[in-house]
Amino acid sequence: MKKILTAIAALTFSFSAQAANEWGIEGEEKARFDAKVVDILCELTGNCPDNCGDGKRQLGLLKEDGTLVMVAKNFDPFAGGADDLAPHCGKKITADGLMITTAHMPIFAIQFTRPEGGKWKRANAFGQNWSQANGGKKAGQWFRSDATVKALIEQDGVFGIPGLEPEE
Amino acid sequence: MGTILRTIKTAAAMLAVVTLSGTGQAAEPTRIQVTGEVIDTWCYVTEIMYAEGTAHHQCAVWCAVGGIPVSVLGEDGNVYVVLRVEDEDTNVASPRMLTVQSHKVTVDGDLIERDGVKYLIVTQVADDQGVVNLTHEEYGIMPFGE
Repeated sequence: MKKILTAIAALTFSFSAQAANEWGIEGEEKARFDAKVVDILCELTGNCPDNCGDGKRQLGLLKEDGTLVMVAKNFDPFAGGADDLAPHCGKKITADGLMITTAHMPIFAIQFTRPEGGKWKRANAFGQNWSQANGGKKAGQWFRSDATVKALIEQDGVFGIPGLEPEE
Repeated sequence: MGTILRTIKTAAAMLAVVTLSGTGQAAEPTRIQVTGEVIDTWCYVTEIMYAEGTAHHQCAVWCAVGGIPVSVLGEDGNVYVVLRVEDEDTNVASPRMLTVQSHKVTVDGDLIERDGVKYLIVTQVADDQGVVNLTHEEYGIMPFGE
């Protein structure tokens, strides 16, 4: 239960500090490093659309030593980091967040970005873009009112099986 | 002479590997077939909540729509991060990925391993059984219970 509450806190709340916040995830370590923003599919296969896919491709951080870091999460609840990184496609940034190393794989949650010579920016572009696309609605609980989510859950139900409903 | 040529070829091949690294050039893939459940990479890998089957389906949809990478949890226990499904050229909240959350699938594809991550380029979805992992009776609805 403690784990779930920590997870909910990590996914739901925002923090004001301009450095990585700990989220209480096993194997997490605060990490700040310089890297080039790359489209992972492009990096691995040579299939490279313009502008790293304009936010429609999973993006990674390529360190100078050649290590490719997969970015799986940003600061918003239930959201990834593509919108935060796409504006920096092919450019070097300083990334700040949590490097989480598990038995499955290393995974990075980006919390702040800073372009070369630029200012720090919180990695919450998904929420900002969602809010803009939804008439200025606050994005804190975006997943409860998002049209795409609603359509998918209406179609298949919360369990993913049409007709199978939660007990009252 | 043959030895010198072989040495030059080996050196050129090694140089090519070093030069291509980090430039968006193709890595060498391995053909594989994977059977497993389509999962939300973040929740499963970090183990911040129970993240399999019906109990986690709604959350998996939220995360996929939010652009978190989608993976296949193979029956071999490996997590394969899906970068492409057949001819779909995008992989952030792409339509094919959104509609198969929590499904049990069998896919053929190219596996590329890099820095501890198993990336999968799915060339064919050979089988899709839908959602068959009934976990909600034990775990309820993750993470909020509604």
